[in-house]
Amino acid sequence: MDASALAYLAAGIGAGLAAIGAGIGIGRIGGSAVEGAARQPEAVGQIRQLFILGAALIEGVALFGIVVALLLTLLK
Amino acid sequence: MMHLRTLLLSALLLWDLAAGASSGSDGVQLDVLHHVTNAYYLDFTPLGKLELPRILIDPEGVHVFPSTTAALRDGRFIPAEWAEEGAPSGGGGEEAESARAGFFGESRAGGPETVEVTHVGKLARRDGLPVYLDLSLTRHGVFMLLAAALLLGIFLPLAARYRAGIGRESAPRGPWQNLWETFIVFIRDEVARPNLGEEHYRRYLPYLLTAFFFILFCNLLGLVPFGATATGNITVTAVLASFTFIITQVAGTRDYWRHIFWMPGVPVALRPILTVVEFIGLFTKPFALAIRLFANMTAGHVAIVCILGLIFIFGGMSPALGYAVAPFSVAVTLGVYGLELLVALLQAYIFTILSAVFIAGALEEHHHEEETH
Repeated sequence: MDASALAYLAAGIGAGLAAIGAGIGIGRIGGSAVEGAARQPEAVGQIRQLFILGAALIEGVALFGIVVALLLTLLK
Repeated sequence: MMHLRTLLLSALLLWDLAAGASSGSDGVQLDVLHHVTNAYYLDFTPLGKLELPRILIDPEGVHVFPSTTAALRDGRFIPAEWAEEGAPSGGGGEEAESARAGFFGESRAGGPETVEVTHVGKLARRDGLPVYLDLSLTRHGVFMLLAAALLLGIFLPLAARYRAGIGRESAPRGPWQNLWETFIVFIRDEVARPNLGEEHYRRYLPYLLTAFFFILFCNLLGLVPFGATATGNITVTAVLASFTFIITQVAGTRDYWRHIFWMPGVPVALRPILTVVEFIGLFTKPFALAIRLFANMTAGHVAIVCILGLIFIFGGMSPALGYAVAPFSVAVTLGVYGLELLVALLQAYIFTILSAVFIAGALEEHHHEEETH
């Protein structure tokens, strides 16, 4: 296996791991947000804002992983 | 949903890279990245391509060419890649000369549509002189300016109406003013006020509104046929994020800086470590802001191109297969396109709310008596 093949492999695994991490994180937030909204329907607006904010921050971390993966695929 | 998009991006990009490599032999080439990256032309593909002006500043002065073709015909400039490949600069660049001749020969043979010219990136001097500044228009630049023009064209007349009292002393008049007031009030009451607080929000509201609408317009212009997404360019998002960065630092109170450089309420031995962490955090926040917007906007477009590209990949295997895949491809593309509309709004909102949160963090006054835990 040459270096670029290893880079593609690393990119694939890295992108997958980043997606798993983001999935767990956003899933936890989403679950908690729904629970919170079910208990206190009047706070839905605030909960939604917190959910989007948290999801955006987690997504940012995942995107760092994706960017690194992309850079690896562009490696020649 | 965003998680799904991330998955889509990674899966489809890799799929496409693999497919592109295998389909190279039978002539079907799909260059996905070419559709989302910046270029020196506007793509109206069935109708043709419009080359954009080239403006170069070098030791001889300012050169303005109406198009890339004109710049290359002029003879003093060659594509930067050729210059890097190293035509002997002393020998008058014979290799570059022959390459240039072949270049125009090919483009003429290919018909009136000069396919090759549009693939030319940066230009360099043939004689090896440096190009100080390349102010050439690119398609992202064009659509960024278009978004800015729309912003001015919509909001200056609106501001004049409010100044005249319509909407302030009376109810806003007409669907046009009502439409924009919905957005403006949303940013003011849902983003600026709860995050920045009653006494500060007025000061930062103009920036937040400008950032929101500029990003929104850039995002939506990318979804218009023949459009390009200026926010799908890392430099555009980096400049936007650096505005937030600068405003955050300027807004910073004494407490903000103290918490970065000498965290109170923490054992002294730990403080240098925290200083390093906090100092890095200063830059990762706007960096994440830039990457998030860029990656989200690029990812959606890559997904659309990839899914549509499946038709041509399968069509390359056998025409019947291509026709069979087409309806599914178009249906899924429509779905992704709808998602893109949502994401265009959502990302503009997220950029704005995170900017507000970062600025609010710098404005915060801490009470250190309570913080000695």
